[in-house]
Amino acid sequence: MLRRSSPAPSNAEDFSAEALQFLEPLFATAMRLTRNRADAEDLVQDTFVKAFRHAGQFKPGTNLRAWLYTILHNTWRNRRRDASRDTVEVDSEQVEQAASGAAGGEPVETPERILMRSTLDADLQAALDELPGAFRQAVWLRDVEEFTYAEIAEMLSVPIGTVMSRISRGRRMLFEKLSTGTASSAAASSGTASSGTASAPVVPVTADAAGSHQ
Amino acid sequence: MKPNCRRICDLLAQYADGTLPEAQRGDVQRHLDACPPCRVIAGKECGARQLLRACADRLRAEPLPPDLRTRCQALAGGQTTTRAWLRPSIRFAIAALLIVFVGALLSIVTRQSDALLAAQLTADHIKCFGLFRPAEGKTLDAEQAQRLLSERFGLDVHVPPSSGQEDLSLLNARTCLYADGRIPHLMYEANGQDLSLFVLEGETRAPAELTAFGHHTRIWSRGGNTFVLITPAAEESVADAARYVAAEAH
Repeated sequence: MLRRSSPAPSNAEDFSAEALQFLEPLFATAMRLTRNRADAEDLVQDTFVKAFRHAGQFKPGTNLRAWLYTILHNTWRNRRRDASRDTVEVDSEQVEQAASGAAGGEPVETPERILMRSTLDADLQAALDELPGAFRQAVWLRDVEEFTYAEIAEMLSVPIGTVMSRISRGRRMLFEKLSTGTASSAAASSGTASSGTASAPVVPVTADAAGSHQ
Repeated sequence: MKPNCRRICDLLAQYADGTLPEAQRGDVQRHLDACPPCRVIAGKECGARQLLRACADRLRAEPLPPDLRTRCQALAGGQTTTRAWLRPSIRFAIAALLIVFVGALLSIVTRQSDALLAAQLTADHIKCFGLFRPAEGKTLDAEQAQRLLSERFGLDVHVPPSSGQEDLSLLNARTCLYADGRIPHLMYEANGQDLSLFVLEGETRAPAELTAFGHHTRIWSRGGNTFVLITPAAEESVADAARYVAAEAH
């Protein structure tokens, strides 16, 4: 799938064709937002209704992919607000506390061992889906979709500092779920504790430290 | 956490994905070498980043619902020929929604009338068939729709299934804009005409039949729920299908 910054589509047909190239990743993102196929389908459709209706507002030379993702996330936020559910802000305040309390456990598996799992994709998806929404969105947009911090801040309507903090904490929680087998579908495949010298890509994962670091 | 550790942890998101400027990266690395607890945290963040990048393409490859692309392309088609909002059905829906909005203001001081309910749901009927009509030939299984109503709304409602005898097909089940999107909307097609059934949970009304925006609305209550059936007015061809739906829904 395309990862480029989209040039200005020259007419309405070009714009539509260009926008529709992002249908698959938009649907995958909608799935992670809604965690329900029917809702994801509706959300993506509403996103394209708005995108085509407001095509004139798209600034030529800017990133069409990021623009579509911003519409997707705005639509999702409005829906949640309309349905009088928890707002993202309230949600995140609660989970930020929960996350900081959960960030101290020592992992029992290394990324390399986790990568060998045959159930890795399902485990990752389950672990992602178990993250609180605010963290799941930030981690997904950065590590799966590779948007910049500034783009994510605009999509989620939060400051860049908040984006970084959510990504940071979301990654920690995700890795803990995977390495300790607390994600629902990971439970069966984990259980072999690693020794203390296993390595993450940059630094050792399990150092000789006590788990808690609050 | 020590102040210095906190400062370092604030940089870990960028450290883990390699976007931290070189000077700060050195700072972080020196701290991690000397601080085992921060090293554990950094290891988790780098580990998650590594795993997600390794699986990103597969995570993004979520299979699309069969006709989603067709429907989105159809939306684009509306935009490239006449702009979507200029299409007659949409203009009609906008006009209807404006009237409904005025009606909604009135309803703040009076109990919502059947006429207002009919107008609101007719507007939703037009909007949904204008924007969310499934691809040609696609139908929805009634049991699937029942499961959806049960999971999404906690509603235990018998959904009238498609009927060859009445030339009636269940096309889709959605949420209606009315009442903050908490009302199920079942979309049918009968003899080439659009037909909608809405369910208002836990609400009872006297039976009524009325016309709004060129559509016939039939309201009735059964089993503690109210059903609202909307069909094009003066369309005798859907009369049998409408009777069938009214008899089956409970």
